[in-house]
Amino acid sequence: MSPIRIPHYAACMLTASLLSACIGGKGSSITSGAPPPPVVNTMALIVDTGPAAAPGAVNHAYVTVRVCAPGSTTQCANIDHVLLDTGSWGLRLVRSVLAAGTVTLTAETDAQGRAIEECETFGGGQTWGPVALADVTMAGEVAAKLPVQVMDDTNAGAPPPATCGANGTLINTVMGFGANGVLGVGVFAQDCGAACVINGAQLAAYYGCTSAGVCTAENVTLAEQVTNPVAAFAADNNGIIINMPNLINANGDTSVQGELIFGIATQADNALPATGLTVLGADASGDFTATYNGGTTVLPALIDSGTDAYAFNDSTITVCSTGSFIGYYCPAVTPHDVFAVNTGAGANNATNTVNFAIADPNSFLAGAAAFGGLAGGPGSTRFVWGMPFFYGRKVYIGIEQKMTGAFTGPYYAY
Amino acid sequence: MPYNSVKRGLLFLVLGFNAIWVQPVRAALGSDAASVLTDGAELQGTVHSVPGQQYDMEEITAASGVRVREFLNRTGIVFAVSWSGPVVPDLRMLLGPSFDSYTKAVAALRQPGLHRSLRIATPELVVESAGHMRAYSGRAYLPLLIPAGASTADLR
Repeated sequence: MSPIRIPHYAACMLTASLLSACIGGKGSSITSGAPPPPVVNTMALIVDTGPAAAPGAVNHAYVTVRVCAPGSTTQCANIDHVLLDTGSWGLRLVRSVLAAGTVTLTAETDAQGRAIEECETFGGGQTWGPVALADVTMAGEVAAKLPVQVMDDTNAGAPPPATCGANGTLINTVMGFGANGVLGVGVFAQDCGAACVINGAQLAAYYGCTSAGVCTAENVTLAEQVTNPVAAFAADNNGIIINMPNLINANGDTSVQGELIFGIATQADNALPATGLTVLGADASGDFTATYNGGTTVLPALIDSGTDAYAFNDSTITVCSTGSFIGYYCPAVTPHDVFAVNTGAGANNATNTVNFAIADPNSFLAGAAAFGGLAGGPGSTRFVWGMPFFYGRKVYIGIEQKMTGAFTGPYYAY
Repeated sequence: MPYNSVKRGLLFLVLGFNAIWVQPVRAALGSDAASVLTDGAELQGTVHSVPGQQYDMEEITAASGVRVREFLNRTGIVFAVSWSGPVVPDLRMLLGPSFDSYTKAVAALRQPGLHRSLRIATPELVVESAGHMRAYSGRAYLPLLIPAGASTADLR
């Protein structure tokens, strides 16, 4: 079907919500049946030392997220220093930070009228708090009535059940995360998925909580689960691109600015490259596989902006026992060159070797925020391409079941 | 506890192993074998035993997809536990008396953040925890109680 040229004024009527498209325009045209004009799909991403309340972050990439009570144009706040996390799904915000922005979010309720709350594990501990609806805006994209988790640092809701964060492993605070919230934009649309829907086996994840504060594990629908905001956008909802520059100083940069781009192959600015792209399909857990340094052990792997280092087990590298990075790797010679081979799962089963260098973190400059050679993870049975992997790369995250050009998610690509 | 159909199904699946219990189970690092059967209801799993040369392993499989293994030395003490599944089992329950040491060590880590690969190691206690939503795994062991000849690589 050939394009049909229509008068400029008619185009303006059709795109009335985007007035700028009609200012001073001459000769503009649209194609019959074409999608609406693109929205702004790119926002700044910054690696710095973190929110004022929790300074000292290393390799944390942050965004600013606009959060409003559902339907409100006044009860809104711009929450800065929300940690960009490709290893989780859904937005989680610290309650006291929302309160400082005078945003109050109300918990979803289950069929019995109980508040839905969630216990979510992040390696070092658990978050606990209600699941609430919010209107979330990033760049020009809006996720309306999005289920988010309110991390209940002020204990305004029901207390956590004994199985969640028992005796001191709760990490609901800005200090606990080194962030005002976590933006989970990985390969899935919901944080738990089908495992939390199936009747007969309640995972220790979602809970129904009475007004008296008694919480019982329960199943919830996909629609009720904490949801990846990108998957909930009206457009540009099939994935993201994270675009980071190379670092300048091997001993650490004080801050680095990159871009978070919404959508893949939906606009002129987010096309997939025609050549040179490695696409690694993810399995039902969100992982592809990797082998490390010529070894034969096949490790579950992911590309994870929420981890501050390359993380893997290598018993031949000394683990730091002094300094500021105890538990990370302190190679005797810097740089220490290693490699890993990634293999995708399912249809997107590319294999690709990545060479990388790790460095002694005790050489890093005090006060710096971005270290390209940081590695850790002794004892781990997984391989994590943490934030250092992103420096100098464009990383593509395709969301499950969504088409992005020639590839269908879930996948990681670079 | 009700003896539900899911457990009954698992019972049939594991017939042929040496010993079978269908009860709520709870393992605790540093405790004796009785703790496997008598503690708490959280896991609501099925247990089967795998005897070994240096130690015995008991594997607990829950309908939720959580799997816990515990390793008992010849004096009947749980010297190691491991876990995997879509959620992390209650570590206070699994680690028992070692849980406080674990949480203190985690709190002392320099870097806040998500710790998708976490390792705590002291002469008395090693805890390794990794993974993310939908896929967690980890283990904890008491180095001083590992039987002679046993390899930590097998304690998973």
